[in-house]
Amino acid sequence: MNGLIALVPIPTPNMDLGQIAPLEIVFGAALISVLVEAFVRREGRRRVQLVLVFASLIAAVAALVGLAGTRTLTAQASVAVDGPALFMQGTVLLLAIVGALLIAERSIDPAGDAFAPRASALPGGREERELTAAGWSQTEVWPLFLFCVGGMLLFPASNDLLTMFVALEVLSLPLYLLAGLARRRRLLSQEASLKYFLLGAFSSAFFLFGTAMLYGFAGTFSLGGIADALSGNAGDNGLVMLGVALLAVGLLFKVAAVPFHQWTPDVYQGAPTPITAFMATCVKVAAFGALLRVMYVALGGVRWDWQPMLWIIAIITMLVGVIVAIAQTDIKRMLAYSSIAHAGFILLGVIAVSEAGIASTMFYLAAYGFATLGAFAVVSLVRDSSGEATHLSQWAGLGKRSPVVAGIFTLFLLAFAGIPLTSGFTSKFAVFSAAIAGGATPVVIVAVFASVISAFFYARIIVLMFFAEPAEEGPRVVLPSAFTALALAIGVAVTVLLGVLPQPLLNLAQQAGIFLR
Amino acid sequence: MTGLATVMLSVIDTGEQITFWICGSLALIGALGMVLSRKAVHSALWIAMTMINLACLYMAQGALFLGMVQIIVYTGAVMMLFLFVLMLVGVDSSDSVVETIRGQRLAAGLAGLAFALMLIAVISRVTLGDVGTQGADAVYGGNLQGLAALIFGKYLLAFEVTSALLITAAIGAMILAHRERIEPKKEQKDLSKERFLSGEHPGSLPPPGVYARHNAVDTPALLPDGTLAENSVPASLRARGAIRTVDRALGDEVQQLAAGDGSLEGEDLR
Amino acid sequence: MTPNYYIVLSALLFTIGAVGVLVRRNAIVLFMCVELMLNATNLALVTFARVHGNLDGQVMAFFVMVVAAAEVVVGLAIIVTIFRSRRSASVDEASLLKY
Repeated sequence: MNGLIALVPIPTPNMDLGQIAPLEIVFGAALISVLVEAFVRREGRRRVQLVLVFASLIAAVAALVGLAGTRTLTAQASVAVDGPALFMQGTVLLLAIVGALLIAERSIDPAGDAFAPRASALPGGREERELTAAGWSQTEVWPLFLFCVGGMLLFPASNDLLTMFVALEVLSLPLYLLAGLARRRRLLSQEASLKYFLLGAFSSAFFLFGTAMLYGFAGTFSLGGIADALSGNAGDNGLVMLGVALLAVGLLFKVAAVPFHQWTPDVYQGAPTPITAFMATCVKVAAFGALLRVMYVALGGVRWDWQPMLWIIAIITMLVGVIVAIAQTDIKRMLAYSSIAHAGFILLGVIAVSEAGIASTMFYLAAYGFATLGAFAVVSLVRDSSGEATHLSQWAGLGKRSPVVAGIFTLFLLAFAGIPLTSGFTSKFAVFSAAIAGGATPVVIVAVFASVISAFFYARIIVLMFFAEPAEEGPRVVLPSAFTALALAIGVAVTVLLGVLPQPLLNLAQQAGIFLR
Repeated sequence: MTGLATVMLSVIDTGEQITFWICGSLALIGALGMVLSRKAVHSALWIAMTMINLACLYMAQGALFLGMVQIIVYTGAVMMLFLFVLMLVGVDSSDSVVETIRGQRLAAGLAGLAFALMLIAVISRVTLGDVGTQGADAVYGGNLQGLAALIFGKYLLAFEVTSALLITAAIGAMILAHRERIEPKKEQKDLSKERFLSGEHPGSLPPPGVYARHNAVDTPALLPDGTLAENSVPASLRARGAIRTVDRALGDEVQQLAAGDGSLEGEDLR
Repeated sequence: MTPNYYIVLSALLFTIGAVGVLVRRNAIVLFMCVELMLNATNLALVTFARVHGNLDGQVMAFFVMVVAAAEVVVGLAIIVTIFRSRRSASVDEASLLKY
């Protein structure tokens, strides 16, 4: 007779809501934003959404500042609130605010914002023309954006692989959709969306299989639990090796490291430029945060096994990134390959396996993020009648026609190249010295070599802009509204400030750079 | 007693082995069939077979609830969604066998083989225990209760965050498929006004001609003055030029008939 | 019966799925191959749950199913949109973007 099952009550889970406040604010705002789509009249939606998005992001930053210095595990130890998590979350939030400024812009394109008036209307059809003329816009972009930011906040803070997997999907799914919503060149955009989706799903399957292997080894998903199992086990760890390799594939795909980078140029080119900017920065921050946490917290015990693998990946990522970037004729693709090369530079901080490595990685991500957002903002300003003029030949002589915009772009390019007095120099210096201290001198030599090559093609664009004759019927630079102007101003200010006065942020990163086990 | 227990255990073990070898090979065949069949619909059916067999393997390993969910969610919902979309896109969409990159299939196959061999080499060297989930199930009084305790306890945050995933999916499907009406729906009155204002023939069109030997849709009717009523034949036939011609003589015949002269000569209308 | 057999089966299914993603051209079939990879992972998770005698693996498999369901909705919506725009589901015919 086992018909009577003794009902054992499930213990009430302990959720300290205060410690995950930023997460709650963003997800809560995302839910409200969905309701706004449902209940607010179409004319008022954009305004309400903008207020909601900026208010919630700023509130989340405030909540994060309130949590500064906290070191604890919360939500049944599935979320870590520690220095790196808070720093990465702060970076994501600040970059997301600037990204939201770019997404909110709608005076660059004469037809409105950067998104299709309705994603379900056929490209080039009558319905699309009517909707464009009527000035419709797809405000559903905002809830998707907020969900994505929520996933990005959870991803680098997850303390077990299950939560990390869910966070990975929460941040990816909205991006797959957002990538396909461009107003101009919609077929290209939809194709980018499909490509990103298929390759993203493929890579998350690898992440998952790696997770399964680590679970098979340790019997738990918790990062600390895996570390304990590793330290208690000396010999037989075939499953661990498989797990590490497969998990790394999934994470390296998100940071766009070679050989998992094929999606990057296509998606960056096809997606609406504000989304490209958001994706190129925030996804990198969140994914590097997760990579650091997995590698340091869970797999620190087998670092001698994964370090060589990451050495090789860092080297080929830097070299492929800079060499292929030289051959690009499209500015967005060029920036995509440059971002691949930068992923390689950031990996230098990861392979250092030290607190300096964590700190320099975090600093690099923040510095690189603001410069990249600014660079894509400039790309969205240079236009001809059919939309953005992204072909490099169209940028010839831009410095003569609009010296201010070309000057700003030059600043960002110099930062990418790592010229002194820009944020790029400080961050490159930080990761290089951390990597040398971590014993990765050969990789640093390759990195210096790659920096020189990259300086060459960045300089080529600067020369093209300032010393080439402007083409007849060339593109013009559109005067943006306050949104993009503010984003550009923030980008310029941060890039210069971190170049001239990097110490406060470096100190903050160093203080924050200790993971909680 | 211990002897009986051993026998029981070995029976259970044999039962599991039989299940494994049957369901496992069927799952493998399904997977191969999916990759190798050219038509997308066949692929969908093959993978549905794999999924059902995997559900059996879950149940054989004590994951009863998961086995049922696998059948209901995966085979029942996910694969049916796939089939639904396939029907929408066109059932006979089959893959081209042309390789876009030369030697890509061979390379992928070899890489896959190497990957599988590496995985198997590693896995077969690992010694895995076999604790079984009975103990874990018993803590809360059953498999389902045990899962619930984890989902609503240890993994509560992840469970709550999956709602974001589902909402994203719903919004995504909405923005890619839903069309909100821009203008008010047209009533019958508006439609009729529109019809008259268009300047075209407002009423129903004349039916095809009815003759002694032909009344098919491709025979045009005659107007009172003996000319052909073009619009009595469907537009598609007109476009194709598949209208039966009515002989010149016809007009005379009609007049003859009208005059009461029954001695019609010659052949029928052709 | 040692659980290794199940893991080997799971590895084989995973590899077949991965190779399928590389060789097939139809976006829908490609996506099915990804689903096969997820199923293979679930088998490994359920087996490891039994190996370790805890239910975490089964819960993970459960989450994978939820995620896969959401992913299928988004993925198929994107595929249908592309199909409506250009009347083909082949990833090759859709190639305005080149490598």
